Amino acid sequence: MAQSNSLKASVPAYLKEAQLIKQGAEARVYRATFLGRPVVIKERFTKLYRHPEVDEKLTRRRTTQEVRSILRCRRAGINAPVVYFVDYTTHCIFLEDIVQSVSVRDHIASGQTPQHLQALVEKIGEVLAQMHDEDVIHGDLTTSNMLLIPGAEHQHIHLVMIDFGLSYISALPEDKGVDLYVLEKAFLSTHPKTETLFERLLKSYSASSKKSPAVIKKLDEVRLRGRKRSMVG
Amino acid sequence: MQLTQDLELFPEYTVTQLLFKDVKNATELRKMAVNGEIKGALINPSMVVDAFQILVAANKAVHLHEIGKMKTRSLYSEIIFNLSPTNNISEAFKRFGVSDSDSAVHIVLVHNKEENLNVDDIISKVDGQQIPVDQVSDLMDAAKIKKLYKVAPQEEKCGSLLDAVVCRMATKDVA
Repeated sequence: MAQSNSLKASVPAYLKEAQLIKQGAEARVYRATFLGRPVVIKERFTKLYRHPEVDEKLTRRRTTQEVRSILRCRRAGINAPVVYFVDYTTHCIFLEDIVQSVSVRDHIASGQTPQHLQALVEKIGEVLAQMHDEDVIHGDLTTSNMLLIPGAEHQHIHLVMIDFGLSYISALPEDKGVDLYVLEKAFLSTHPKTETLFERLLKSYSASSKKSPAVIKKLDEVRLRGRKRSMVG
Repeated sequence: MQLTQDLELFPEYTVTQLLFKDVKNATELRKMAVNGEIKGALINPSMVVDAFQILVAANKAVHLHEIGKMKTRSLYSEIIFNLSPTNNISEAFKRFGVSDSDSAVHIVLVHNKEENLNVDDIISKVDGQQIPVDQVSDLMDAAKIKKLYKVAPQEEKCGSLLDAVVCRMATKDVA
């Protein structure tokens, strides 16, 4: 069928011209122009090692969850890239390209003053509190999944959350605690000797979130036992 | 005056937008759109924040048209439907389409790049004044848009009204 061939050609042909910026196990990320604007395209490619039906269902679910979580965050005033278009046939998400941004990971690694780092982690704590209060679990909290937009005013730290691929909606303190635990492990292993800094992040989180006591309690529990280890014999 | 944008995903397609104010023959124009004399989508500019919003709707319409999964019967009605935050087709036409009493009209044409589009022919059919498409934000009713799309003040902390509208349009099918 000529029509389906031309369709199958459109997005892949377009991606061939685009600039590949990252290749992960789950998806490829490109940069390109779409409707005259700079965009980032996240392509969840077919995994040949999976059973085709399972692959299709899982990929579709991951795509829709990602898109839903982004919308939910934005509605609550949490910065996440605007979704411009979703192609459910090729599982591609077209997002706004946050130009001139740097990942928090790279930002910290490039060396910052202690005062700036403190302000930064306080902001992160605030944003995460907001997100969890909306019952959005990010699922992959790392400093590489947070972007910093260099702002004009030094006081105003502009943070954008990205990569909601493993996110889901949950009100359970356990899930939020695990979300923070994932960040803690990632943070401390990526940025050496930052234990005090992370404590400050958690303090800021507690101060900003209405539901934090239960979450922090769960975080402590998870720290003791490790993730996904239900102590039910 | 008019605005033309190629659809990068569908290289054979181009979108041209025209904007008119002080329109006196909205009823006639509507008839012409229905009977095919004007091959385009007639949109109420008070619901349009920016030309980009139209492009997003048009892109999605062309995409669904190409895969045979449009929800409405024609490409043009699909563009109007895509603008709406809900899945109710008749509601979309009522709110985003042009009504007889409207005095401003936003015309969207989707055509082949090579096709010699007779824009002047369309302009001559409109009894009104053509204005640059980028002035569409002057004609928008922000309060009405915020109400319809349910944009809360807190959302405006992380982006513009256009961002809020476009995000909802793009995620309507799964939200």
